[in-house]
Amino acid sequence: MAANLARLLECNIRCNNAAAVQSGWRLFSNQRQQQTEVEDDEEFRVLNLRTIKQQARRREIKKNAVQPPRTSRMPVDQDWTAVWSGPRSFHPASVPLPLRQGYTERGAAAPSKYANAELMKIPNFLHLTPPAIRQQCEAIKKFCTPWPKGLETEAKWKRPFPIEVITTDYCHSLPTIRHPEARRVTITLKLSDLKFDAHAKDKFLRLVGERYNQETGVLTFSADRCPMRKQNYDYAMYLLTACYHESFVTEPWEATKSEADMEVYQFERNQAKRSAEGILNWNATGEQKDAPSANYAKSVEALINEGENEYNIAKYKEEVLKMLKIAI
Amino acid sequence: MLQLLKTLRLRQPARFASALSNTAAATLPGTEATPPAIVGEPDKLYSKLEIELRGIDPAVLKSYTWFATTAAEHLGIELGKCWSPRKAHHERMTLLKSVHIYKKHRVQYEIRTHFRYMNFHKLTGSTLDTFLEYIERNLPEGVALQASKTELQQIPEHLRQPPEQV
Repeated sequence: MAANLARLLECNIRCNNAAAVQSGWRLFSNQRQQQTEVEDDEEFRVLNLRTIKQQARRREIKKNAVQPPRTSRMPVDQDWTAVWSGPRSFHPASVPLPLRQGYTERGAAAPSKYANAELMKIPNFLHLTPPAIRQQCEAIKKFCTPWPKGLETEAKWKRPFPIEVITTDYCHSLPTIRHPEARRVTITLKLSDLKFDAHAKDKFLRLVGERYNQETGVLTFSADRCPMRKQNYDYAMYLLTACYHESFVTEPWEATKSEADMEVYQFERNQAKRSAEGILNWNATGEQKDAPSANYAKSVEALINEGENEYNIAKYKEEVLKMLKIAI
Repeated sequence: MLQLLKTLRLRQPARFASALSNTAAATLPGTEATPPAIVGEPDKLYSKLEIELRGIDPAVLKSYTWFATTAAEHLGIELGKCWSPRKAHHERMTLLKSVHIYKKHRVQYEIRTHFRYMNFHKLTGSTLDTFLEYIERNLPEGVALQASKTELQQIPEHLRQPPEQV
């Protein structure tokens, strides 16, 4: 009986100590703290062999009921630009259109818009509807300026603005925003827009070489050797300026240009002139000498420069007969 | 070197202070009398803006062309020729199907690039910048845009008359 009592007491103390540990009381003091209450009617403890983790109850996952698609709540006269204001991949519950897209067996209807990857893959233009474009254009129109009056046609603007500068911008989805071709600058102008004398024009055309198009009369300076567009533009303008100014320089060695170097036949410096003069001044003793007429010179030049065709030969014959005063 | 740095350090605050005092002196008396005259460079003139679009999806290109032309219409830009070549550009690669041997069995990959062109005429510099930025910002994914601009310029002073002294 005594042993039983002692065990019961011990058990009681241990329980109290455990309670004290939990609530942060003093454990090792001599004076016992006042017990609030001894629970007599303790619950019957069930022996549980499982670990605490297993004891934990499964959490019940609360599932929201699926909301009905937003399209069912949309009024007919809604502001669509507010619904779909920016670029966004397709969302079936926001688009009130009975879309279908995709491949199926023959005869079956295409898959509907819900859970349809085909519709999500392609970039859509739902944010660029006609009212949206109109709104945005009205907003940015204040930054635009009208084309000046008096320059309506190309013929009109060619006179004050003969130089055309062609540059290119690139916008692409690469890791870099630079494009090696963006630095290229092309300057075109007509040769007739520059003022030359005969020697300068000849020299200029020799200097520019391939950059002059004989058929259209257009000069083209293209530069892409510098890293920046501005530098290339400056370089192309520099080339044009340098060629233009250099063509007016007459070097001493240019006087040694021989007949073989001439690009066109010139009556003045050829044997034909001397022969004609010889014939005209046959046995002439006086100081004054007759010179062949300008028309004769022109016909000879045309005959040799343009080639022998019917018109040139007939013209030459006429001029020769006139010069020699032969009447037929 | 150190000395130079020191002098630089010494000088900079002084310069800032002088600049500040200058602006203060300029703004204080002239707040009501002299509104700042708008002095800017004259607007540029562009006779043509040619836009080339490349993409793998012709439908997207078509929609984008419609968007750009509509925007041009709203902004009052003269629209030129808009066209696209009928056939796409095919770039094909033929590889061995197997890693190492079996030469008779090949696999072919191809990339199709569709092109589309738009022309706009007679734009001023500000119009062109606005329009180009607007349509470039709305460029869809997987589409490349190339804009070549033809700017009109006057003949510079030094090219108007033949040089007198050479």
